[in-house]
Amino acid sequence: MGIFDRKDDPPKAKPDFSNVQSGSSSTASAPTVPTGTTGTTTTSSGGTYVVVKGDSLSKIAKREYGDAAKWRRIYEANKDIIKDPDLIYPGQTLKIPGA
Amino acid sequence: MPVRTRALAVFVIVMNLALAACSKPAPAGGATAPGVRVTEVDLGRSLNADKTIGDNTDSFRPADTIYASVVTEGSASNATLKARWTYQDGQTVDESVRTIAPAGKATTEFHISKPDGFPTGKYKVEVSLDGATAGTKDFEVK
Repeated sequence: MGIFDRKDDPPKAKPDFSNVQSGSSSTASAPTVPTGTTGTTTTSSGGTYVVVKGDSLSKIAKREYGDAAKWRRIYEANKDIIKDPDLIYPGQTLKIPGA
Repeated sequence: MPVRTRALAVFVIVMNLALAACSKPAPAGGATAPGVRVTEVDLGRSLNADKTIGDNTDSFRPADTIYASVVTEGSASNATLKARWTYQDGQTVDESVRTIAPAGKATTEFHISKPDGFPTGKYKVEVSLDGATAGTKDFEVK
């Protein structure tokens, strides 16, 4: 067998990182939001959040708790105004339970 | 000044300027936002209650949860810390952002895990503060 018979190695598949789970937390407090703007005002016992365009419960959970999987905690606290956890609307004020 | 001496002086000045231009940017601890700076970035498999790393290491197993602990000093009403995790081929593994309002020394942790295990290889986490790189750490999954 000559060198011209050598076949190229099949291309290696790129690793898939789509299911990586991540989170964060801090000893520092979260910034407070000035009156009249949207966002979160959180205290150790919880706070409120005004939904903005593009938000989802998991996005809010990731921002608030550092873990998107905790969206259900926000959903449970707001069942009176959220009928479908996949549907939240800009301008809605959600209660954010303490971490 | 003799011509040779003058030429030597010019050479020394040019070399100094060249060295200054080639020097590395400030390492972790030098950056960044007014009022707040990152003083330490550590990696490990576990966290203490104060969010510092319990077991500093740069070598992990595929099933590990990988923690990066970022110590900041100073105070600010709004500072944004970002951890960008990348694989050896440049692929982004994850990006997490945390906004903080520190009043003095604070520790912020970022972590990643992968249910089916991380591929073996070399990784890097880059921590930035308000958009400016504040520290990087290389690590390996074996």
